[in-house]
Amino acid sequence: MNAHVGQPKIAPAKLQHHVIYVSDLKRSKDFYMKLFDLQFSALNHPDSSAAMRLSNQEMHFFSFGFYHHDICLVKHHKLKMDNNSMLHFTLMARDRDAFDAIRKSAAAMEIPVRDGRLIASAKTSPGQRSYCLQDPDQHWIEIIEEQRP
Amino acid sequence: MTAVSYVPPNVLPPLLQKFASLLKRKWFRELVLAPPTITRRRFSNKTEDYGVFKPSRIAQIGQLSIYVQDIERSRQWYETLGGLRHSRTCEQEPHPFKPGWTIRCCYMSAADHKECLVLIEERDPEGKVTVPSGMSFFHTAFELEGNRLENVFAFAAQSKQGGFVPNYGPVRHNGDPPLGDGETGGNVACYFYDPDYNNVEFCGAMDTIENYRARYGDTRGSARA
Repeated sequence: MNAHVGQPKIAPAKLQHHVIYVSDLKRSKDFYMKLFDLQFSALNHPDSSAAMRLSNQEMHFFSFGFYHHDICLVKHHKLKMDNNSMLHFTLMARDRDAFDAIRKSAAAMEIPVRDGRLIASAKTSPGQRSYCLQDPDQHWIEIIEEQRP
Repeated sequence: MTAVSYVPPNVLPPLLQKFASLLKRKWFRELVLAPPTITRRRFSNKTEDYGVFKPSRIAQIGQLSIYVQDIERSRQWYETLGGLRHSRTCEQEPHPFKPGWTIRCCYMSAADHKECLVLIEERDPEGKVTVPSGMSFFHTAFELEGNRLENVFAFAAQSKQGGFVPNYGPVRHNGDPPLGDGETGGNVACYFYDPDYNNVEFCGAMDTIENYRARYGDTRGSARA
């Protein structure tokens, strides 16, 4: 990027949304809405979206409550998804109550929970709680308690 | 190390990438959607048709870890094109859920988001690095500093000057000409494949509770369709 030496470079501020493949949209939609209380914000279907029609995909959008979408679930109608390009993603629970509520819901849904961070080298703030679980397609999801000053 | 040349099956072929911008033309979208329109299967996909917004139990995405074949190659790409900063690269450690396998992690940070991305070399018990399949996620998205349409266009321009070619965009994910591609979210976005064909979006100006209502008021999607 030598062309930009001396110029302010536009760079990412943060990771904002993530779009994962799932094998069964209804099953995953139920899972994410029930466990995390995600808000269903839009649906791009091959019968309503030209891009989805051309790519043989269907996408369901979910909001954490501020942005239009933060997590999207995609079903590819021709290709099979797998777990071989992503190890995990982390969701920051809104507060202590939300962190505990997710765990309680996981227990009610009989979802096995593994304590601590998934990756041993990942950093954890003192006193920060975390656990991991898997969605119906075996995607690993790490839940971390957001610590606010 | 030498990376294996592998193109995942969901990757848009170069020829189609050239024509993808046609999605910004309404006539083209109408042509693609002619079959469901004629058969009356077409429906609105607009946001207001669904019951949003209230806070969920989640505040934000904290971290994403993706498999890469060569950490150095990927790190360079995310630093050079993506503008991410290298935080640290760790020694090999046991794979968290595959006994006998190992991983090596490279933590990358965005301006306001520490260690948001982990680039991972995964090795099988024989020490061979696995090749990412491209089929676990469709894309992941970074919000650009400034978070405005102009910032995304500036990013696209600086990427082009650096020799990077987007596989799609810049577009705006709504139906508003001249940028709108008929999708939803309102975000202005451009997409690039990283060296392992992980699809990465750089975006800004996504609809939020506030700006969506400022633009459309309480008009439901079905009324605007």
